[in-house]
Amino acid sequence: MRVRRLLLGAAVALAAAGATVPRPLPAQAVAVAAKAAAPSTINIPFEHYQLPNGLNVILSLDRATPTVAVDIMYHVGSKNEQLGRTGFAHLFEHVMFTGSGHVPYGLHDKLTEGVGGGNNGSTSNDITTYYEMVPSNYLEDALWLESDRMGWLLQALDTAKYDAQRDIVKNERRQRVDNQPYGRVGEIFSAAIYPKGHPYSWPVIGSMADLSAASIEDVKNFFRVYYAPNNATLTIVGDFDPAQARAWVSKYFGEIPRGKPIVRPGDRPVTLAAAKRLVLEDRVQVPRLFIEWPTVGTKNPDQYALDVLGAILAGPRTARLTKTLVYDRQLAANVSAGQSSNEDVGEFGISVTPRPGHTLGELEAVSDSVLGRMRREGPTATELQRAKAGLELDFVRGLESNLGKVFQLATGQVFYNDPGYYAIDYRRSQAVSAADVKRVANQYLTAGRVVLSVVPMGKKDQASQAAKSVPVTSEGR
Amino acid sequence: MNRAAVVRISGCVLALGLALAAPLGAQAIKSSFNRTVIPPAGPTPALHVPAWTMTTLPNGARLIVSQRRNLPLVSFSITWIGGADQYEPADRTGLASMVASMLQEGTTHRTGDQLSSDLQLLGTTVNTSISGEDGAMRFMSMKDKLAPTLAILEDMLVNPTFPADALERLRARSLVSLAQSKDRTSVLASRVFPRVIYTTAHPYGRSVTEASLKAITRGDVVALHKAYFTPGHAIITVVGDVDPAAVRATIESALAPWGAGGAMPDFDYPAVPAAKGTTIYLVDKPGAAQSSFAIGLPGPPRSTPDYMALQVLNTILGDQFQSRLNADIRERKGYSYGVGSGFAFGKGPGAFRAGGDIVSAKTDSALIEFMTQLKGVRGPIPITDEELQTAKDLLVQGLPEEFASVSAVNSAITDLYVDGLPQDYYQRFGDQVKAISRADLQRVADRYIDTEHLAIVIVGDRKSIEAPLKALNYGPVVVLDTEGEPIAP
Repeated sequence: MRVRRLLLGAAVALAAAGATVPRPLPAQAVAVAAKAAAPSTINIPFEHYQLPNGLNVILSLDRATPTVAVDIMYHVGSKNEQLGRTGFAHLFEHVMFTGSGHVPYGLHDKLTEGVGGGNNGSTSNDITTYYEMVPSNYLEDALWLESDRMGWLLQALDTAKYDAQRDIVKNERRQRVDNQPYGRVGEIFSAAIYPKGHPYSWPVIGSMADLSAASIEDVKNFFRVYYAPNNATLTIVGDFDPAQARAWVSKYFGEIPRGKPIVRPGDRPVTLAAAKRLVLEDRVQVPRLFIEWPTVGTKNPDQYALDVLGAILAGPRTARLTKTLVYDRQLAANVSAGQSSNEDVGEFGISVTPRPGHTLGELEAVSDSVLGRMRREGPTATELQRAKAGLELDFVRGLESNLGKVFQLATGQVFYNDPGYYAIDYRRSQAVSAADVKRVANQYLTAGRVVLSVVPMGKKDQASQAAKSVPVTSEGR
Repeated sequence: MNRAAVVRISGCVLALGLALAAPLGAQAIKSSFNRTVIPPAGPTPALHVPAWTMTTLPNGARLIVSQRRNLPLVSFSITWIGGADQYEPADRTGLASMVASMLQEGTTHRTGDQLSSDLQLLGTTVNTSISGEDGAMRFMSMKDKLAPTLAILEDMLVNPTFPADALERLRARSLVSLAQSKDRTSVLASRVFPRVIYTTAHPYGRSVTEASLKAITRGDVVALHKAYFTPGHAIITVVGDVDPAAVRATIESALAPWGAGGAMPDFDYPAVPAAKGTTIYLVDKPGAAQSSFAIGLPGPPRSTPDYMALQVLNTILGDQFQSRLNADIRERKGYSYGVGSGFAFGKGPGAFRAGGDIVSAKTDSALIEFMTQLKGVRGPIPITDEELQTAKDLLVQGLPEEFASVSAVNSAITDLYVDGLPQDYYQRFGDQVKAISRADLQRVADRYIDTEHLAIVIVGDRKSIEAPLKALNYGPVVVLDTEGEPIAP
């Protein structure tokens, strides 16, 4: 069975939005370079324009398969929510699938999945995106469907269906968080790293209490503010006739009026003055150690060096934490590490699962010594080369998928006001130097961090530095 | 009853109702045209099935080559027919997977670290796996990296050293993963369900256990590798930006040290245990927020002439968002984030299984819905012409997606040979699906969705769900442990 209408936690926000295809290279006259450099494999030809109502439109042809992907990305996510209404942006995403003024419930699925394609939506801290994948001859239908819920959603609002969607979202929370071993870790870090009231301090899925409190009135207000064409980017990738597509876009979207200007939460960089140590008792048989640091978001070029740092620390068996903890000293069953970049800020995280007979305290101490060496010496040339060697293949693989290209182009537009940003991204990733990696390791992986021990119920003594660790409250702090 | 139509009509009525209740109408945007008209679809694009060649190499392996030049990519695989179910001793479950992992641990030319490093520098990885009925080594590369990557794959295949300390490390890791997997209700349901319907006397009923992992020796690894990784039951597939004439020579020369030999395995499985009357098997997971369901029974093999009818039936029942199960249990009732059903078509009697994760308090209510829908397709809720048409459209018009990337084309072609299907299978697929009638669906539903003989495995909080499940009177309630063994009441 397929999982549908998925929610993206902070950690994977860009994985779906930007990074179905990887994070790529550096600057200067990139748009020109991307379009002119024919021999390069790093190229997605596209056309970009705006309708008078402010809707951004991106078209990109690919005749390899007679299909087309259509996506509308709204620049709204959980960070636009208010305290007491957490989880609302994602709940709203579900409401978008309950039918609209001229489209009865169920028809959307019939005209997408029912003709051999598919549809879905996803919500992150920063964006909410909706897409259809259809045979090329259903492009007009996809545009009709998306325009109707952008313009006429409220005309079909129905309390019964709204309540059912709210129950479904609660089930989604149960499935992804409450009934999932280690499932609460994400929201605990959000609450621990960001100050109360910070737009990234609550989880995208929200709390059960807030979901219960969300009303139909909330739906209407949210829709009027954020679901206007001037807050949206429409991207079409695949096998279609561009002139015909432009005409249909004008017909279906042109008459939807521009909305009011949107006030966005500003960038609010975060640092932690000192370490926080937390312990969570969970229904697990094996404890696990998690460490996170506040870092930077997509607007800060340090994200590229942090990505490379993650690849050098964990993943393949030659990566430093993996090699030390899993292979050489065999203290751990597995380890992961990496940067996760949201629009405004981000986090760098490590997680380690011990082998029987080894403690979270040992894992923390050995991890710290590995990190200490990285801060002192930086990576070797070979490590850097290995971390970057796969970027081209990853990028070119991404070009095989209409949807992968849609997300590259759309996130470029939404976050950087440039659909061609993927080329800058690629060049910046390729340009990361050993000195950059050493610098960000020193600058961000500091003592100001959150260390979370997840332990079996009743086993708080298994926490790393148990005496100093504070039990997590129901609020996750 | 036309269920889909009822939903659609009530939606229309509702939309009209709101529009008429009209001060609200003032807020609606006026459209310059009639938006209630569904745009007519354009002409159906022609189906383009990729071409390929299939030849047999001197060592006995078959070679499939298909050219696709829109990007400088290559998808390469060696697929072995037969898997753990044919090659693994009954008391060594997990051995085949272990052998696949051990291929990454070093060769006579490279240590495990060197293998990893060399592949990273080529920008790729070679994935190795053995599942129930097949196994593979595969990679994707830029076209200029095909030959060097192939050379490393050959080294892994022909010259593995299987270091004893690596086996111990992988064993320890697998034991931790096994322990962690038992924390998840959905994993437990997937583990216990096949035990119940096949028992461990059948390969389909076995899964990895602590005891089997601990029993694996290095000698077992060496022996399975020797028996399994032979050319005689292998299919080599290369798809992408290659010159078909030259690539055969490249592959032959790269794999020359492999040698010859080996034969197709037999797939003669023991008979499945006699079906029992519908029974609820409850596995306790104290405090679980959701109950994981696995409901079903053994089904037909992939080779059944009923395959297409079952695909259409299952599309209607549980394999699309607006399937009967998901539309009911998720969308209308709100009991779940998603439910579905499927047939595990294999060489043997793969299971039919329906299920999903259900909020604990609605465990009994959801089971009523599952049973209503499973029984429904057998007659009480007749399949409508519209449901039948949508399911056929979904299957037929979705076919081009099977050929949308080099790795998709690789699987699409390789699968034909693994499953023993005709070469023109994809060309004939549309006609075969379109030929399915409501009578066909009725017949296969009666035969395969046998609601009198279901195993209903539910993993959840026994304290709160056992009494309501008993009260349903669908059949006896048997409490099992996490290994699928009955425990005293």
